[in-house]
Amino acid sequence: MAAPEELFCWEGDWGLPSISTECLVVLAYAKFAGAPLSLRKISNPWRSPSGLLPALRTNQKTVLSRPSEIIIHLRKQKYNADFDLSAKEGADSLAFISLMEEKLAPALIYTFWGESANYVEVTRRWHAEHMPFPLRFFLPSWIQSQQLEKLRLLRGDDVLDVSGELEKELYHDAFECMNLLSQRLGSHKFFFGDSPSSLDAYVFGHLAPILKSKLPNGKLQQHLRNLDNLSNFCSNILLLYFPRDPNREGGTSTVTPQPEGGDLDHVPNKRMKQFLSVIVAMGAMLSYALVTGMVSLEHFHTKVQEEPQDSQPITAQHHYQEEEGEG
Amino acid sequence: MSLATEAFMSQIAAAEPWPENATLYQPLREDQILLSDCASSLAVQAFLRMCGLPVQVVCRANAEYMSPSGKIPFIHVGNQVVSELGPIVQFTKAKGHSLSAGLDDVQRAEMKAYMELVNNMLLTAELYVQWCDDATATEISRPRYSSPYSWPLNNILAFQKQWEVRRKMNAIGWGGKTLEKVYEDVSQCFQALSQRLGTQTYFFAKQPTELDALVFGHLFTILTTRLTNNELAERIKSYSNLLSFCRRIEQTYFEGKHS
Amino acid sequence: MGTVHARSLDPLPMHGPELGVQADDIESAHIEPEPNQEVLENKDVVVQRVHIDGLGRTKEDLLTYEIADVFRAKNLIDVMRKSHAARQKLLRLGIFRKVEVVIDTSRGADALPNGLDVTFEVTELRRLTGSYSTMVGNNEGSMVMGLKLPNVFGRAEKLTCQFSYGTKETSYGVSFFKPQPGNFERNLTFNAYKVTGQFPWSSLRETDRGISAELSFPLWKTSQTLKWEGVWRELGCLARTASFAIREESGHSLKSSLSHSMSIDTRNSSILPRKGGLLKIHQELAGYTGGDASFLKEDFEIQLNKSLFWDSVLSASLWGGLLLPIGERATSIADRFYLGGPTSIRGFSMYSMGPQSEGDYLGGEAYWAGGLHLYTPLPFRPGKGGFGDLFRTHFFLNAGNLCNLNYGEGPQAHLKKLAECIRWSYGLGVLLRLGNIARLELNYCIPMGVQSGDRICDGVQFGAGIRFL
Repeated sequence: MAAPEELFCWEGDWGLPSISTECLVVLAYAKFAGAPLSLRKISNPWRSPSGLLPALRTNQKTVLSRPSEIIIHLRKQKYNADFDLSAKEGADSLAFISLMEEKLAPALIYTFWGESANYVEVTRRWHAEHMPFPLRFFLPSWIQSQQLEKLRLLRGDDVLDVSGELEKELYHDAFECMNLLSQRLGSHKFFFGDSPSSLDAYVFGHLAPILKSKLPNGKLQQHLRNLDNLSNFCSNILLLYFPRDPNREGGTSTVTPQPEGGDLDHVPNKRMKQFLSVIVAMGAMLSYALVTGMVSLEHFHTKVQEEPQDSQPITAQHHYQEEEGEG
Repeated sequence: MSLATEAFMSQIAAAEPWPENATLYQPLREDQILLSDCASSLAVQAFLRMCGLPVQVVCRANAEYMSPSGKIPFIHVGNQVVSELGPIVQFTKAKGHSLSAGLDDVQRAEMKAYMELVNNMLLTAELYVQWCDDATATEISRPRYSSPYSWPLNNILAFQKQWEVRRKMNAIGWGGKTLEKVYEDVSQCFQALSQRLGTQTYFFAKQPTELDALVFGHLFTILTTRLTNNELAERIKSYSNLLSFCRRIEQTYFEGKHS
Repeated sequence: MGTVHARSLDPLPMHGPELGVQADDIESAHIEPEPNQEVLENKDVVVQRVHIDGLGRTKEDLLTYEIADVFRAKNLIDVMRKSHAARQKLLRLGIFRKVEVVIDTSRGADALPNGLDVTFEVTELRRLTGSYSTMVGNNEGSMVMGLKLPNVFGRAEKLTCQFSYGTKETSYGVSFFKPQPGNFERNLTFNAYKVTGQFPWSSLRETDRGISAELSFPLWKTSQTLKWEGVWRELGCLARTASFAIREESGHSLKSSLSHSMSIDTRNSSILPRKGGLLKIHQELAGYTGGDASFLKEDFEIQLNKSLFWDSVLSASLWGGLLLPIGERATSIADRFYLGGPTSIRGFSMYSMGPQSEGDYLGGEAYWAGGLHLYTPLPFRPGKGGFGDLFRTHFFLNAGNLCNLNYGEGPQAHLKKLAECIRWSYGLGVLLRLGNIARLELNYCIPMGVQSGDRICDGVQFGAGIRFL
């Protein structure tokens, strides 16, 4: 087997290895198939090789971004979690994955990015806190407009009307989808037999953020909690394949520390802002003072530097004079 | 269709029986309609025939703009207008006609999942081939789509539609796919459908359901439509049970109409 | 309730209303000859020089036409009159903010003893002016920004841009106006616009994107306009509950039409005339220069006013129109006529008369409407000489009909159809004049001859508008 390939994905939170559905799908599948990947958890999509997350940089130096492409690639590398599925089960997988993409994914986009209370209090705050300065000021809203545009195109509308009507429709479809998944899962541990497959990875990727996030408007979560077999399914996978790691809580991983001061985010931004504002104020005062001539430093400083040895006693005198001048 | 109007419509719909003058609207058959719209329209027609509900097909150049959701086809029943197969199935169910009443929960889940498979993969592939493949778009899709309008409006509308479909493809991640890859995905879809059908008459035992109508609509249209490149039709032909399925439904429900 | 609905989707005029007493009301000042002036009148003068001071970017050749007349003055009074007229002409060009006339005796080497120098001191308008206003309409508020460039190339060309951003729709337009130098009444206008409108009486939403070119010129006593217009029209339903007939009209279409209009206006004011009359005939032929729509449309407007005793005015008006489809294609709802409302037949709701389907009014292909008004000053004349003069009371009688014609039958059948089922109404009300642009009305109406399907507004009805029956 070749060297482990690099997977760039979103950081995790709320007990999940990553907050993004698509990243979770890839991570889960990799665990199920036993594929070794070196993870790079970042919170700035611009640092990923394709500009999107998740992104897999293969050993052939190509970059794959869609979960389905990544899974096919891993399968070709003989990391196949669907190995012992019958043809009919494979067909069912494809069908249920389509069901989730058509009915559940739009509701997910809406609940994290379209619903105003959720967006402001959870999604935007999370992204702003985890992104480096200065991206945190504009990137979350940029991602939001992209996601809402995607939602509009998925539905085929001319104009996306983010209103109660839209919410009811999307959630109705999502509830139905979850019910159907629950019915299909029944009382089994995984969807097909005793070992998980790619369908399990997709279901996990879509349901885990709903289950674990703490959103003000949590209708999807409520509905999911009522479906015991699905909630147990998600918790099961988390327990077995993504055991709780104290490091993971913080959102940093073993590999890449954030060079742009991301660690400081845990200490709230306030400190950084205070520091910056003090620097700016002092700089302004100093430059004003210099410009208006209240303080003049330059002459003495340069002389000191140019004549180090001979002027030892003189230097001391100059310093003395300097201090007097400033005082 | 929103929930509130759905509930309201169900109440009204249940009160009235299916009228004789129900009409289905689609774009002009000879000059204008495209593959994806024709497939969706045929699926609805098959479904209504399977339910035994009479409907008249009327062709209008502005059918796409008449539709409340912007999608083809739509039916005008009494004084209600319903578009797309999903809501139409709900609407007929409210009037007491349903094909999937006899299915159990697991089967219904599978039926809905396979219908989404067709919408997600097959319909998207049809749209891709029509609008994102330059040869097909220039020779077939744009001229047909813009045929009812005069210059320069025809060019404006055709390019606007193409641009919109391409944006959708980019949003769902199909923008970077090559035509070959799309054909492979479609083959996978056909394989899944063929697997599920197996040797049965219909997808779920002896009775047809809306899934049969939907699959028939798409497969039959692909088989009988000539594009610049008949790759899609060739891919279906490698699954003989799908071919005989199409022929069977055509003979049972559309006898004498298509030859 | 009536509100201003621009059915024609023309953008509103750029300048705001000017309140206050209008020049129309003031009789034109005539200079009464006084004994001193009689002496002056007999004195011959020669206008030697006419200067225009203060020109910046305006080209001189444009102005020579306007001031040429002054040279022909024979005596001092004549000079004053002609300079005044030239001043009015210069102001009418719309490129000067202020024009002042100075008449002085000639100076210089070649000065004649009875020579005069006339100097026009002008202040040009700024190169670019902007305006900003907010408009509140039918459930919609919008912000309107305008940009005007008077005198772009120096010969009184004008470029105006308007942008309207509303809660529901946005519209914008650009217009370029070029008069012929020396002949301001002959002018050429180019327009490009995108306008969206919502028409709740038909549950219809319309978006028009178009360009037009217009040539106006006077001919004898009339003013003629020739226009070509190309419009991309997009119609849609305003609500899910729109009737199916409206749904069938949704979609895109292209209209390319040539139109001609002729008008003679001898009234002293267009809002509250005291005397004079108006005749306006407009015809439009679509389809022969491309496009999908194909029809011939005629409509006319006649108004006669006569002052009676005690400051009251009797006014009679007649409107009519006919839309003839050419070819097998049916007419589009955007081309048909509408009738009813506080600006046409009072007592009926806005455009809520005639053919309809499930509560949505479809408009008609032929109509006529007539009105008879008696305008009097307010009883007991409060505020006379000032604010009170802006108000009037009026008593009115309106009648009309709107229907579709079956063009297979002859004209006799058409006249018969228009004559049956006439709707009419009468009443009285108070009106307020807003400058020279608009008027507000508050009427008490009694509608009669109401047909099934019409929506009436009997009792008190409020209306604001530019053009009233």
